[in-house]
Amino acid sequence: MILLQSQSRYLLQILTNRVQNIDKGVELDCHWVEFDDVRYHIQASIKNPHLLHLSVSLPTPPPETEFSGGLPFGAIEAIKAAYGSVVHILDPPRDGFNLTVKLNLSKLPSLEEMKQNLLVKIASVREVVMGAPLRVILKRLASRSVPPNVGVLVPLLHRPNESFFIVPQIEKVTVVFPMRFNDSIDTVLAASFLQEFVEARRTAGLNNAPACLWSSSPPNELKEAPQHALSANAGFVSFVISTRHVEGKKLDKTVWSLSTFHAYVNYHVKCSEGFMHTRMRRRVESLIQALDRAKLDENGPASQSKSFKRLSIEESRGNSYS
Amino acid sequence: MWASDGSSGAPIPSNWIPPIHVSGFDSCILVGRAEDCSGNIAILRSLVRIRQLFLNVKLKGENPLLSQLDPLSSTPFLFVLSMASSLRLYLTCIRNTLEAAMCLQNFPCQEVERHNKPEVEMKTSPELLLNPVVICRNEAEKCLIETSINSLRISLKVKQADELENILTKKFLRFLSMRAEAFQVLRRKPVQGYDISFLITNYHCEEMQKHKLIDFIVQFMEDIDKEISELKLSMNTRGRLVATEFLKQFI
Repeated sequence: MILLQSQSRYLLQILTNRVQNIDKGVELDCHWVEFDDVRYHIQASIKNPHLLHLSVSLPTPPPETEFSGGLPFGAIEAIKAAYGSVVHILDPPRDGFNLTVKLNLSKLPSLEEMKQNLLVKIASVREVVMGAPLRVILKRLASRSVPPNVGVLVPLLHRPNESFFIVPQIEKVTVVFPMRFNDSIDTVLAASFLQEFVEARRTAGLNNAPACLWSSSPPNELKEAPQHALSANAGFVSFVISTRHVEGKKLDKTVWSLSTFHAYVNYHVKCSEGFMHTRMRRRVESLIQALDRAKLDENGPASQSKSFKRLSIEESRGNSYS
Repeated sequence: MWASDGSSGAPIPSNWIPPIHVSGFDSCILVGRAEDCSGNIAILRSLVRIRQLFLNVKLKGENPLLSQLDPLSSTPFLFVLSMASSLRLYLTCIRNTLEAAMCLQNFPCQEVERHNKPEVEMKTSPELLLNPVVICRNEAEKCLIETSINSLRISLKVKQADELENILTKKFLRFLSMRAEAFQVLRRKPVQGYDISFLITNYHCEEMQKHKLIDFIVQFMEDIDKEISELKLSMNTRGRLVATEFLKQFI
């Protein structure tokens, strides 16, 4: 798996299981975390097997991002548009969560294919909620309407206390990610990966991909950004998204891949560290074998050079040197 | 290029060790401290030429290589410089030096009865220590060989061209050091200023064949270089693949 799937696999599994065995409704209470930032909680009771409560906790927003009622702007509209009557938003959400929705499985469409599609859509709740503001901006780009805030920096929630920045312009949108990593090794690997993004963009097959830039210092677009957002140990990556990247069905994909860019890079950095360890283990084995080759054979001729050794009866008889 | 004594007839300093020829290595120089050869023009001239070759090497005292070696000892030490910086010559030089240096014998501790310690680590009695040898390929790659009567310490500094290589080297060598138990001759901690160290005692020489032990050290050095460049290459390939797949989504 090279690309990250937009649906949470675990959530999709729970939902499909539940739908298939709706008569044997069991008690359900699960917590899990995705990409180290979003926390999920799903709950169901035996009494009403058709009802599920799904809660989502988003990462703590940095002060510069625009949040209304604990959710990014446009999130509630996006949920309503995506799920229709199956999902009912509870207000206020549960303690410790930003969003709680009630899923009514009896309202799922009866057609198998549509049902599955809707379940996948519910499982991609992260894309719908976190990607809502980005989607609004990219949609404006797709419809080629002049945005109301041309050239104004829009900070969006990305990771706990971190944001990424968007500069909407006519005909294009620039997205800037300040990349931060906790571990010093991760930082170095990520920085080399990010430079590969710039290199890969130059190859012939990717001429139509968004222009990609990497720099270790904040780019010009971030002139108005608050000071604390400008410290990124793995540099800054910017993508220039033009209208052709958000046409039709591409919009969903673009929103998803941009809003999980950090998770994507981090995932591959960790994978390559794992790969490195496998390699090193193999190399250690081959080196130990090389050292073993140096060891003497049990009855080799050089065994007499020992500085001390146990005297056996056999040797004490005939050997003059011992 | 030879810095040889007796060639110019000038008085030789009392603590000047006669250079030994390292076989199989055609261009090596064995050098003492500059102030020790004040009278010997031939040696000084050689030193100046070394300086021209290695711009960072300074003659008077503040040479980083010279000063870090053995600040306590007043005897001159051997300083072998490789003029040709090819890997093969560097490894041959190390191999020959090791062959010469690896003549270890059992030697019980002089201070404590019934103890037998590697003297190169304890450094309690100067008469048991031999002159350390530094073999440099360039600034970044060098090898320090310290010898004593019953033990030998080899310390390596591995080339680290950029930050990624630095991380990979550090990770790999740490990985090896943590498995020192399995390697027997590996030291748990490298000597200061180096990346990885081996400690070979007379017991190792008894358990293993000497020339194969030297083969192992040389193969180890080759493998480290190879492994790190391969790791770096695979990191870059992976990065490229990851980036390409990501960008393909937008097309």
